[in-house]
Amino acid sequence: MAFRTGKTGSDNETGKALRSRSLTRDAMRRLMKNRGAVAGGIILLLLIFAAVFANFVAPYSSTEGDILNNYAAPTADHPFGCDFMGRDVLSRLIYGARISLAAGFVGAITAFVIGVTFGLVSGFFGGKTDNFMMRIVDIMYGFPTLLLIILLMVFFKSSFSVSGVAGGGLRGALSDLDRSMGGMFFIFLGIGLTSWLGMARLVRGMTLSVRNTEYVESARAIGTSRIRILFRHILPNVLGPAIVAQALQIPGFIQYEAFLSFIGLGVNPPTPSWGMMLSQGYLAMRSHFHLVLWPAVAISITLFAFNFLGDGVRDAFDPRQTR
Amino acid sequence: MFSFIVRRILWTIPVILIVSSITFLLMHSVPGSPFTRERALPPAIQKNLEAKYHLNDPLWKQYIDYMYGFVRLDFGPSIAYRSRTVNDILAQQWPVTATLGGVAFLFAVCIGIPLGVLSAVKQNTLIDNGSMVAAMLGVSIPAIALGPFLIWIFALKLKWFPVATWGSPAHVVLPALTLSTAYLSRFARITRASMLQVVREEYILAARAKGLREIVVNLRHAFRNALIPVTTIAGPAFADIVTGSLVVEQIFAIPGIGKYYVQSIGNRDYPVIMATTLLFALIIVVMNLLVDISYAMLDPRIRYS
Repeated sequence: MAFRTGKTGSDNETGKALRSRSLTRDAMRRLMKNRGAVAGGIILLLLIFAAVFANFVAPYSSTEGDILNNYAAPTADHPFGCDFMGRDVLSRLIYGARISLAAGFVGAITAFVIGVTFGLVSGFFGGKTDNFMMRIVDIMYGFPTLLLIILLMVFFKSSFSVSGVAGGGLRGALSDLDRSMGGMFFIFLGIGLTSWLGMARLVRGMTLSVRNTEYVESARAIGTSRIRILFRHILPNVLGPAIVAQALQIPGFIQYEAFLSFIGLGVNPPTPSWGMMLSQGYLAMRSHFHLVLWPAVAISITLFAFNFLGDGVRDAFDPRQTR
Repeated sequence: MFSFIVRRILWTIPVILIVSSITFLLMHSVPGSPFTRERALPPAIQKNLEAKYHLNDPLWKQYIDYMYGFVRLDFGPSIAYRSRTVNDILAQQWPVTATLGGVAFLFAVCIGIPLGVLSAVKQNTLIDNGSMVAAMLGVSIPAIALGPFLIWIFALKLKWFPVATWGSPAHVVLPALTLSTAYLSRFARITRASMLQVVREEYILAARAKGLREIVVNLRHAFRNALIPVTTIAGPAFADIVTGSLVVEQIFAIPGIGKYYVQSIGNRDYPVIMATTLLFALIIVVMNLLVDISYAMLDPRIRYS
């Protein structure tokens, strides 16, 4: 005890053990200090609330309008005005939050599942399998994503909806599913199929490094099966950073949906999507600027909040980085 | 180093081949033909048209014909625009897209990087915080929201620039600004972060200790090293900007390749779809190649792995 000096020692001697601070708690503390990130988080919570409870929050229907009110300017009844069909803009914005957030989250999850599976298999099996799978990723990186996603959407929309009418088999089922979701299903699929590459590379790299750790080696030594090692030892260690990395991609997915709906390849009308509202408002912009303004503000605030929160989370978990 | 570059260049061949095959297959599996009209053509005419464009050949033969043409850089005739070849169309549209992308890239580099340096030098001042919030806004506003907004302010209200379409240098400003904002902001953020990292290195301390003036330390010693990460994202950013011009061309009704691409998909104009995808893929592949080579030059460890 003679060498023990300083506060820590005396604290221990008086019996008051220091509360240990885990990495996560430390990161949370840093995150809470970041005003931008907290503001972003609050905005997102409000948005999620509005999206989930849109039926109660929105004053009017999102799809049915009063044709006498078409292009109505903002009034007390319709604070953001009405669109070309007399539908309340505020209500459509609130329902539109559902579409944007769904595209962001479900798109992220779809891409995540594909990317994590691909990266995990590639890194875990290694050797020729790994080499082959990573070459596939390299090749896919040569694809212009925006062009591919447009082509995919046209492919989905026209090849599935045509046969869906006949109502047969998998194609019919998929297209019914898509129609019941207002065109969202194919957006999720399109985003998922084009945006998993970075995740696959990241997970593969982490899998390789975890695979060579001592605890995996000892697990192997006591005869643990490969499947068990994969799911019990490797996956949990890979998951955390992968989730953070994927969360940072969400704004990008929201933008994909908005753009696809903007050019008419996204949601089916009358589903209210901010991108579609922008494109419809854009046509009438000269005389009715509010039809462009509010969807533009809504999508910008959402992305702003996501970016601020994402930045904060990344900084909080990686204190070495200077922001 | 030489063999590394040769290997990387050879690697682009399978990439282009496979990208074109996937596009070809996907494109031909979309139902509908270039001759689908509201009023159906008489079967005989449809047959003849399909024969003319070899659309009744087996798919593999069409593919081989197509790739043979591609090797000779002859993309064949456009189907939707009867009298024009795809080469004509590319020759006409590509300069538009390239100009738009080039100007946007210049904006991003010439405004973004100095902004980042300024923020880093004035760290935690009003200038720094202000420009970083602005940069965050820039990253967050999508082109489809920013474009109409800029048109409304600068074209409809202030009447400084034309509303849309293409022709004079004034037509370039708003679309290029719309296209570059996100990348400009990204450049500013990365430059700033990289500057702040470099400033903590010991050779900066040494330079200060020598009594060099602050501006010399910042520009000659810090800035030059801080540029390394910035240059490595510049390649992909260029490819992204050129691809992203597709979005901006839609908003501003600019007759570039991107607008044509979307139209051609609607028209099932197979040769144009293929040529555009290949052109963009080529840009991406070349940019990735440049990045890899610059990495290898900057970091000798990568060369041999």
